[in-house]
Formats: sequence, structure tokens, C-alpha cells
Amino acid sequence: MDLTGAGPCREPPGLESLHLGGGGGDGGFTALLELPPTQAVELLHFTDPSPQAPAAAVAGIGLDVSPPPPQLLHGYGALTFPSNSALLERAARFSVIANGNVSGETTTTTTSSERVKTEPCETDSSQRLSPPNNRCGKRKEVDKKVKSSAKKKSKSSEENEKLPYVHVRARRGQATDSHSLAERARREKINARMKLLQELVPGCDKIQGTALVLDEIINHVQSLQRQVEMLSMRLAAVNPRIDFNLDTILASENGSLMDGSFNGTAMHLPWPHQVTETEQSFHHRQLQQPPPPQQQWPYDGLSQPAWGREEDQSHGNEHNSLMVGSENLMVGSSSLHPNQVKMEM
Amino acid sequence: MQPTSLMKEEFLKKWQMGLQIYRPLIDNTSVSERRKAIKLSADVAMASLRRGTTCWSRALIQKTATENNFLVRQMLSGIKAETLINKKLPKVMCHRKIVRRSKKNFMRRKSRSVSEEVAAKARKLIKRKTQGLRNVVPGGEFMNNDVLLIQETLDYIVSLQTQVNVMRSIVDAAEAGIERTACYLEKLKFTIED
Repeated sequence: MDLTGAGPCREPPGLESLHLGGGGGDGGFTALLELPPTQAVELLHFTDPSPQAPAAAVAGIGLDVSPPPPQLLHGYGALTFPSNSALLERAARFSVIANGNVSGETTTTTTSSERVKTEPCETDSSQRLSPPNNRCGKRKEVDKKVKSSAKKKSKSSEENEKLPYVHVRARRGQATDSHSLAERARREKINARMKLLQELVPGCDKIQGTALVLDEIINHVQSLQRQVEMLSMRLAAVNPRIDFNLDTILASENGSLMDGSFNGTAMHLPWPHQVTETEQSFHHRQLQQPPPPQQQWPYDGLSQPAWGREEDQSHGNEHNSLMVGSENLMVGSSSLHPNQVKMEM
Repeated sequence: MQPTSLMKEEFLKKWQMGLQIYRPLIDNTSVSERRKAIKLSADVAMASLRRGTTCWSRALIQKTATENNFLVRQMLSGIKAETLINKKLPKVMCHRKIVRRSKKNFMRRKSRSVSEEVAAKARKLIKRKTQGLRNVVPGGEFMNNDVLLIQETLDYIVSLQTQVNVMRSIVDAAEAGIERTACYLEKLKFTIED
């Protein structure tokens, strides 16, 4: 809240009164009303160049460089007086109607990702809005805003529990009743979520326009669903029976799922304890044995138990027919009992 | 947010549980049977990760319950199975064609400027796209609220991503394992024949 040392010859004299107007902008409206319209317009003109360099301006330079409080006015918004964080706030979002909320938020820097994400969208919209607003007499709007601010406060204060801040802005000439305000809040919410969606779906960042983004999202969802179908088809083709060796795959795959950690003992899964232990013993034995060295261990989990299974099913002569038996196992059904597998080569 | 390894683990566990249920049940000899079983268990596993908090998960569970009620009950292990299966989703389905037609008639009477027409067309386009999105996301027909729709889509995409990742890694491992053992057996054959 330091307007001292504001930019040279940019700060209209009327700003002094704004200073005194109060911290959270509660006195802001009345202060603004005292300004002659020309000065108000002048103040508002300063809003335009600002969005380009919000962060830099606020970072350490203070208010000297960037235009003073009027940024936050927009002719109707809360008069949050510029503190450094306020300008940063303004960069993120301009018109917070509930004045109290803004003062609360100006203390927090824009660290939350949510704010940063909605920054560009807000700057765009505000930039769009500020030029037309500059030219008209602000008093009417401000008056309207004063009336509706009370109404809006309760609404936004309750919305603040869910969102860190509320952007509702009454456009010029539009009704400021609770309906349109609510609708505006809803639109802001939708835009915020669309931003999140755009980040999630690859290749959506560069697209402009809601319709195309929605197209991309639909395509993405459909492609994911088709992939699931394809994968289930492949899985069904690979293993002749459903009761395939998921136990062992689970043991082996958990390593790869958890960032490729080889050591399966790091697994936290409660139930396949015994499975993992037998798997480990498999792997150890596997390593000592002559089978092709280029086999990677996750896949060994598949081959070894097959042989082990062979042991189970036909005791006695499997050593000679191990190969044949394994072939059968690969082709035929496979119900693993990894606990009982004994590797005797 | 991207799928976390914790989510993948949970999904794998639940999926495995579902597949175990199939093991003694049916003799799934045909590929299509197996595929259906795999997909159903995967879907229920994915939906149960959300524990009924999201609309799409409830709708998905209900959808699979119509195909295989027993599986769903077992997989959800009765925690909320009963409520989820039996709860009727609010049938807020308005016949959109009729609504659209009546809107068109109404709009014809208004006089429009060019810019308004453009805006109206854009709005119509977006409405059509959101309708398309509703068709894709399970349970989308019941989400008349756009905010909810987008939120559900977000969650659904993340869960789908988890599902695809886990399934893909399993399939890759299985296929590679089979391939490697087949190669190895071939080699063994040659060595023994020599």
C-alpha cells in the first residue's frame, strides 16, 4: 500500500485522496467519486499498458514504474490500492468486486498455480474490457457497483471458500443484478477449468477458441477409450485364459510402475507378499543360470514360473520334457502357483 | 495432473481382483469373452478408484452392473456396492431435438444483427461440442451443469490415462515375455537337436 514514490508526472493529484481512502479499497469508491471524471479517465488509461509487465513491475521495482491504483479500478472494480503484491494480484486478476477479499489476497503472493494459470485469461479479458470502459463516464458504473458490491460481497465471500478468489466483473451497460453476476462467476469458473483441460490434453495449448479445444478434448477421450479396447484385446489374445500370471506380472510390473526400481522388496503392496518373495528367489536363480543373459528381469518373471508350473503339474519326468512342457504351457492354460514353484533345472 | 504411481498401483490391484473373480467363474475360451472380461474388470477398477465421488464413476459402475452384476458387487466388496448399483441417476434427459426445434422457432421471430448472428452461431457450435462431450463421457447426459461437465471430464481423462498406462505396461510385459520364451525355446530346440 505504498503509493509514495509513484511515477513521475503520472500520478494525478487526485490520487492523494485515494491513498487516504483506505487499504482494502473500501473507501475507494467514494474516493474515486471525488475525482473529476477526466482524472478518472486518465487514471484508467494507465491500465492498458500495465498488463504486459506485471510481474516485472512488481518484482522489486515497486510502484514507481507501473501505473498506480487505477489499474484496479476499471471504472468499477474494487479500488485495491497498489502494494507490490496488489499489482501482481492485478496482473493476475483485476476486478474483484468484493473489496474485502482483495485486501485479504493482496498479502498473498501469486504462488498458487491456480492463480498463475488463470492469469493470462484474466489479463486478456480485462484488456479487452478496459478500453471501452475508459471512454465513458465512470460515475454511473461506480454508483451501480457501490450498490451491488454489498450484494456481491456475501456471494463472493462464500465462493471464496471454494476458490481463492472471485472474478466477477460487471460490464458496462449490463445489469448488475445477482443473476448476471452469478452467471459471470459461472463463466469464470468454466474458463478456469477449460484452462486446466487445455493443459492436460496435449496439443491444446496453442489452440484458440473454445470449440476447437472441445473438439480436441473429445478426440483425446475417444482415443483413450479406443486404446483401452485395443489393449484389452491384445491382452486377451496373449493369454489364453484370464487366469494368467498376473501375480507374477504384478510383482515384476510393480518395479516398472514405480520408476523401474529393480528391487521388488520395495513394494508396499500388502497382499502379494509371498508372491514377491518367490519372485525374488526366481530372479536370483535366474541370474545364476545359463538361460539367455539378455533376458531382462521383468520378463523372467513370466518365463520362470512357466517352467515352475511345469514342475507342479507333472512331477518326475519334466526335466527331460521341460522344453516341451514349457511350450505347452505357453500355448495352453496357465494357472500359476508361484508359491509352490521349485526351480530345479 | 498426471497419473501417479500410487493410482496405478491401486488400479492394478483392483483390476487383478476383478480378474481373479473371473478365473473360477467361466471357462473363457473365446477371445471376445476374455476381452470383455478384461475390459469390464478394468473399467470397474478404474471407477472404483474414485469411490463414488464423481458422477462418471457412478455411471460407469452402473453401466457395467447391467452387464455383469456379480462382478461389480464382488469388486466393490459391498462397501458401497449396493448404494452405487441401486441408486438411480437422476434422469434429467431432455429431448434435445425437441428443445432445439422449439428454440429455432422462437429465434426466428427475433430480428438479429450480423454480429449477433455470429455470436449466436458460435454459441450453437459450442453447445454442439459440449453435447458431443456429454456423449463421450460416461454419465454425461446427466450433467446439465457445464462446470460439472468439465470437472468430470478432467477427472475422467486422468483416470483413463492411468488405466491405459497400466494396461499397456502389462500387455507389453506379457507379449515380450511370451516372445522371449518362444525365442528361447527355439534356441533350446536347436541346441538339443544338434
